[in-house]
Amino acid sequence: MVRQAHHERDYILNLGMRMQADVTVIGSGPAGLVAAIEASRSGAKDVILLEREEELGGILKQCIHNGFGLEQFKKDYTGPEYAERLIDEIRKTEVRCFLNTMVTGVSANRTVTAVNSEDGVFQVEAKSVVLAMGCRERARGSINIPGTRPAGVLTAGTAQRLVNIEGFLPGKEVVILGSGDIGLIMARRLTLEGARVRGVYEIMNYPGGLKRNIVQCLNDFNIPLYLSHTVTEIQGRERVEGVVVSQVDEKMQPIQGSEKFLQCDTLLLSVGLIPENELSKGAGVELSRATNGPVTAETMETSVPGIFSCGNVSTVFDLVDYVAQTGMSAGRNAARFVAGDWKENGGSVEVLAGENVRVVFPQRYCFRDELTLYVRPAKPIEKPVTLSIAPIEMNIKRLYARPNEMIRLKVDRKKLEKVTEPIQVSIKER
Amino acid sequence: MNVEKRHFTCVTCPVGCEVDVELRGGNIVSIKGNRCEKIKEFVVQELKEPMRVLTTTVRIEGAKWAMLPVRSDKPIPKRLFLQAVGELANIDLKAPVHISDVIIKDIAGSGANIVATRTMERS
Ligand SMILES: Cc1cc2nc3c(=O)[nH]c(=O)nc-3n(C[C@H](O)[C@H](O)[C@H](O)COP(=O)(O)OP(=O)(O)OC[C@H]3O[C@@H](n4cnc5c(N)ncnc54)[C@H](O)[C@@H]3O)c2cc1C
Repeated sequence: MVRQAHHERDYILNLGMRMQADVTVIGSGPAGLVAAIEASRSGAKDVILLEREEELGGILKQCIHNGFGLEQFKKDYTGPEYAERLIDEIRKTEVRCFLNTMVTGVSANRTVTAVNSEDGVFQVEAKSVVLAMGCRERARGSINIPGTRPAGVLTAGTAQRLVNIEGFLPGKEVVILGSGDIGLIMARRLTLEGARVRGVYEIMNYPGGLKRNIVQCLNDFNIPLYLSHTVTEIQGRERVEGVVVSQVDEKMQPIQGSEKFLQCDTLLLSVGLIPENELSKGAGVELSRATNGPVTAETMETSVPGIFSCGNVSTVFDLVDYVAQTGMSAGRNAARFVAGDWKENGGSVEVLAGENVRVVFPQRYCFRDELTLYVRPAKPIEKPVTLSIAPIEMNIKRLYARPNEMIRLKVDRKKLEKVTEPIQVSIKER
Repeated sequence: MNVEKRHFTCVTCPVGCEVDVELRGGNIVSIKGNRCEKIKEFVVQELKEPMRVLTTTVRIEGAKWAMLPVRSDKPIPKRLFLQAVGELANIDLKAPVHISDVIIKDIAGSGANIVATRTMERS
């Protein structure tokens, strides 16, 4: 069934081709679900949610481990539990959800083109649009490992879906390249399912994933983590028969003579996530080079008026709680935009990443909301640091800074009222 | 008595505080590096018997998907994980299942129940 039966309105059925909405949300992961719920609660009348898969919930459905929603719900949910809680909430609203519906285009005038097997190609003309398409994994093509192209090389997220939803074990002897959270989680998962995980190899000299995942996914199961290591060759004809791993130097170049052959039938890649940005590009929103997602204001508005973005489509967040918060802001502000509560105000200033900061989100401040900053450090600093926000002279002390732990902080609106120059966030050793 | 130094990473929440603990005769003398008060409970338990929530899947028939995600409703001793997964491999389960339904009681003799973490209708 394409449509969910609740809150269906007949006039949609016979239109087929063109419909109107106050807010159209694209994607039903936590970002999209929260945005749609919040838009509806904030007074937007016709809220439409479009999802290409056959169920709501996004990536959460395959993240069967716990650790979700500790902040938002004060509960230690698994991904599916967290999703089901949001799905129950959206059912209590007037939001209309379209499943199996792929969005193929978004225009700058907020017309969304979508296709499904029941309605064919149709368009939704919305007063505002929320982009919530999430992110995708970097695949082998984007990292370039020499060697053959046998079966048995797959991304950690694909393996996660195979094991957790479809019930297939992708291999028995596994090497994992990259120490992102999905790779760590899958190291544990595959071990529990009876596979032997030979090790996690990370090219950087620090781990990519959260510390707690190193402990409870690797250490708990005696799975070794090799930093400053990478896979330099894949061997095998039809199927992976092994990989060559090498140590790398400070410039991340393989060190001659450090090669080691590891027999395995599967290589999992956990080498990073990038925002799904095809639709964003098509809509003409400005993209950030640092995040690959839209340049976003504190209201989650992109550079195109009335188009908002939230969750991992904007920048890759570590925690679902952060994703949900951006969804809440996007939904509320999309409703404000529709209600006409969006008068020209004092313009905007840029928010810039300064010293030792790889990513700062959002990238613009428009003087409409309080500013919640998400800051990803550029390198690990295992010493006390000060995070400074210029020009308002806000200084926050932290015990360390690490790229695998995004720092979140709130800046009071009042402090920013008189700011006229760019806001710059930097991290310095104390 | 000698002071023993140990390092722990708390896994209670995603912050993952790393703490240095001083022990004397198995008793905690000091803990440094934590950001909240849950740390003491974590370290005491970690010294006695490391406990974790088990999350895994069980095969289900008559549903849209082959696998139903499940969890232990409270932490169980880490050393019982493989035994628990073994018990779960042998059960017969048919859709529909509702979120929080008990799938197995007292898994691996741990006192915890295995419960469904999502609803799966018959399809
Ligand atoms: C393996 C893994 C483990 C994680 N572990 C944790 C954890 O322990 N704790 C925690 O707090 N967070 C964790 N996270 C992070 C958190 O789950 C994610 O950040 C969050 O789920 C992202 O939500 P989202 O809504 O932005 O994207 P998604 O959940 O990816 O949702 C995007 C949705 O958009 C849909 N879509 C995309 N393009 C289109 C289109 N063109 N048309 C229609 N629909 C479209 C997709 O089908 C999908 O349903 C984890 C993430 C992963 C991947």
